[in-house]
Amino acid sequence: MHTELPTLVSLIAEAFHSQPWAKYLIIWQNLIYSLLVVFILILIAIMATRKKSFIPGRLQSVVEVFVGVIDDFVCGILGPSGRRFVPFVGTLFIYILFMNLIGLVPYMKSSTSGLSTTVALALCVFVYVHYSAIKELGFLGYLDHLMGKPRGVVAFSVILPLFMLFMHIVTELIKPVTLSLRLRSNIFADDMLIAALSSFGIKGLPFLFFSMFIVVIAAVVQALVFSLLSTIYFAIFLVHDEEDKGHNQLVNKEG
Amino acid sequence: MEILKLISTNEIIAQAASFLLLLFLLRIFAWKKVLALLDARKERIAHEFQKIEATKQAVAQLKSDYDARLANIDEEAAARIQQAVDKGKELTDEVRKSANHEAQRIIDTARQNIKYELSQAKEDLKNQVIELTISAAESVIQEKLTEEDEERLAKGFLNKIDELK
Repeated sequence: MHTELPTLVSLIAEAFHSQPWAKYLIIWQNLIYSLLVVFILILIAIMATRKKSFIPGRLQSVVEVFVGVIDDFVCGILGPSGRRFVPFVGTLFIYILFMNLIGLVPYMKSSTSGLSTTVALALCVFVYVHYSAIKELGFLGYLDHLMGKPRGVVAFSVILPLFMLFMHIVTELIKPVTLSLRLRSNIFADDMLIAALSSFGIKGLPFLFFSMFIVVIAAVVQALVFSLLSTIYFAIFLVHDEEDKGHNQLVNKEG
Repeated sequence: MEILKLISTNEIIAQAASFLLLLFLLRIFAWKKVLALLDARKERIAHEFQKIEATKQAVAQLKSDYDARLANIDEEAAARIQQAVDKGKELTDEVRKSANHEAQRIIDTARQNIKYELSQAKEDLKNQVIELTISAAESVIQEKLTEEDEERLAKGFLNKIDELK
């Protein structure tokens, strides 16, 4: 029983196994499928926005609905100032979704079943979240945020903030690990399930169709979870800060 | 640590670059354009709604104006009808008064005419009596009257008087 189904790239590599570049095809297989998804998405974007009009066509309508939903989703969590993160989160969602779903097409592969792909995406989120946080709060404000609250008494002013800083740094470092492992494990498990059921032949066909339905749902859910968590990571730094600012303003007014 | 064998630094960098490339291109081709379009549409819809609301208010205002005018028109019509009725009554009274006046005038004129005719008749009678008296006197003077003649003359005179009456 094969744990992985043959893909177009693996078949080409097998056919040209004597060629020196054949092994690179296998090594970079995930990247090839990622670039295929990139190409498909850009093609869709260009086609949808080529003749944009106030009364949209079918493709433009679909793209507009998607953009509108992502806009509402992100701004619903981050508030109106979260508009600047809409392209990032939206691209992340659609990219992961397409990479998850492309594995269901015969001879294709989900790039997200490779850990390097999900780690790369999680690192992008990690870097952008912390870059935005430092840009928004300033480096000292960023450290201050990581030290947590409340403060005041000796224990609270020195020991606890340092402990909290350490805890927060560990938490922040764990976030990309959990993000990447969750996505990779789920999609890898989906791929394995499909591969296992495919090996049963015609007898396994009903199970295969049923599991494909489950896999589609899992693909959507995993893309959503990754995007939602990324948005929440932004919110932890930015919305929290806005609340603090509001609280400080209130305290100053009362004072 | 087994899991670390699944990670390739080169692939991570390449995958990250692939995602960033997609982000960059989608930002240009999709996000900016579509978000701007959605904002413009949202704004336009809001503007249209404002216009509809303003038009609704104008229509409501116009309707209330018309209603008020209609209510006034009823009152005005009632007032005008009343005015016409009053004027009609006035005219009737005037006509009646003038008819009465005219009738009175005609009666007065008739009375005056009668009076005049009567006085004229009396005058004529008087003149005729005088003429008869004169003619009787003349005939008395011209003829020698017998007793029978006197009686006859007197009777004739009396008969003439009767005739004149």
